[in-house]
Amino acid sequence: MKFMLMIYDNPDTRAVFFGEEGKPLMAEMEAIMAELKESGELVDTAALGDPAATKVVRGSGVVTDGPLAEAKEHFGGYLIVDVESEARAVEIAARWPKVDTAMEVRPLLGDGGEEM
Amino acid sequence: MSARVDDLLRECAPQVLGALVRRHRQFDLCEDAVQEALLAAAQQWPGEGVPQNPHGWLVAVAHRRVIDAIRSESASRAREERLALLEPPPADTPDTDDTLQLLALCCHPALSPPSQLALTLRAVGGLTTAEIASAFLVPGATMAQRISRAKKTLRDKDFDTPGDLTVVRHVLYLIFNEGYTASSGSDLARPDLTAEAIRLTRLLHRLRPDDDETVALLALMLLTDSRRPARTDAGGELVPLVEQDRTRWDAVQIAEGTALAERAIARGPLGPYELQAAIAAVHADAKTAADTDWRQIVGLYELLDKIAPSPVVTLNRAVAVAELRGPEAGLELLDGLELDGHRLAAVRAHLLERADRTAEARAAYLDAAARTGSLPERRYLERRAAVITPSA
Repeated sequence: MKFMLMIYDNPDTRAVFFGEEGKPLMAEMEAIMAELKESGELVDTAALGDPAATKVVRGSGVVTDGPLAEAKEHFGGYLIVDVESEARAVEIAARWPKVDTAMEVRPLLGDGGEEM
Repeated sequence: MSARVDDLLRECAPQVLGALVRRHRQFDLCEDAVQEALLAAAQQWPGEGVPQNPHGWLVAVAHRRVIDAIRSESASRAREERLALLEPPPADTPDTDDTLQLLALCCHPALSPPSQLALTLRAVGGLTTAEIASAFLVPGATMAQRISRAKKTLRDKDFDTPGDLTVVRHVLYLIFNEGYTASSGSDLARPDLTAEAIRLTRLLHRLRPDDDETVALLALMLLTDSRRPARTDAGGELVPLVEQDRTRWDAVQIAEGTALAERAIARGPLGPYELQAAIAAVHADAKTAADTDWRQIVGLYELLDKIAPSPVVTLNRAVAVAELRGPEAGLELLDGLELDGHRLAAVRAHLLERADRTAEARAAYLDAAARTGSLPERRYLERRAAVITPSA
C-alpha cells in the first residue's frame, strides 16, 4: 500500500531545520531515509522550495505569486512509501523529526479494483 | 527463436538456483550467479544455438561464478568455506525437489509478504527486477533494494527443511490478486501477474500433483481469470459480476478450472481453496446471473466461514444470503462486522439499495467511495450514489 507522508512546516521551523540547530534533526532524517531505502519501502521523496517561490495558476489561467493562502503551516515536503499497512506508514511519520510541525499520512489512489 | 530461449531460461532458472543453493547455501550469492548465467545464455544461445543440456550449461556457468565470488571474498572467510571450492559442481540433471524447496524458501516466514512476492517472481518466476518493479509500480531501485534485502535474510536459512505449502499457496494467491485487481487498460507495460501466478501454480501442481489444495488453487485462479474479458467495459470501468456479459467469459479456462475443481472436491475433506474453487465453479456454471444456484453458494460460504472464518468470508456470505433470502437477511449478517477498507460499506450500500432504503444506501455508497484506494472503484461507487434518488 502506498502512502504519501506530507510534511507541514512554517518559516520558523524551516529556519530551525536548515540552521545549525537543525543538524541533529537532519541527521535523524537521513537515518530514517537510509533505513527506508534499505528496506525497499521508499518510493520517492523531496523537500519543497521556499513557499515564497510558489506560482499559483487559477482555472482562468491567471498566474499569481505566492502560496494559495496565508496559512500558518504550509506543505514543505513529502515522502512516498510502499508499506505493508497504514500502521507502518503512521509509525514512520511518528518517528520523523518534528519541531512544532505536523505530518499527514494519506493513502494514494491506485488504478486497480475489484468487480463488485 | 529468442522468445523460445526466454521461455526455456525461465523454466530452467528455479531448478538451477535450487541446485546451487542446495550445494552452497548463501542464497544471495547463488542468486546473483544464476542471474549472470541467465544473462550470458540470453546473449549467447540465440546466436550460437541452445546447448544440448541447457540446465547443465547454466549450472556449470553459475557454479563457476559462485566459486569466483567466494574466492574474491575468501581472504576474510573461514577455511570451511574455502574447502567448498574443492567440491564438484552440482548435478547437471534437473531435480524437481530443488524447485519446490526454492519456492518454499522464497516464501520463508522471515520475509514480509511484499518481499515474498518479489523474491518468488524473481527467483522462481525468472522475471527481471525491472519487470517486477513495473508490476508493483515502484521505482527499480526500490524493488532492487527489497529483493537484495530479502536475499540477505535468506543467506543462512536452511534449504532442507520441508517448506510449508500453505504459505507458498498463499503467496501465489497474493500474486494472482495483485494482477487481477490491477486495471488492465491503463498501463500496457505492466507484466501480467495473473498469468505468472497461474504459471507458477501449474509448476507447483506438477511438483505435487496429489495436493488437492494446490489443484483447487489452480482451479480458483482459472475460473476467476476466465471472467476477466467481461469485468471491465469498453471505457475501462468495472462491471459487477451480475451485470457481466457471460458470453465473454473464457470457455477454455472455465472447462479446465471446473474439471480441476471437481477433481479436488471429489476427494475431500474440503480446504479453503477447494471451497472457493467450488463457489467459483458454481458461478461459472450459470448461463445468466439469474440462473445462479445461490442455495449451493450459501452452503459453501457457510462451510468456509466455519473452517476459515474471516470478515471477508462473512461479507461474501451476506451477499449470497441476500440473493437467496432477500437484502434484509444479508444486512443482518453485516451487523457487528468489522473490516478495514471500503468493501463492507460497498456491500451494505448495495443491499440497502436493493431493500429500497435509498437515503441510507446513498450515504453508504459515498462512505465506501471515500474509503477505497482505487480510482475505478471510486468512480463506480460515486456513480451508484448519484443514480439513487432519495425517497421523498
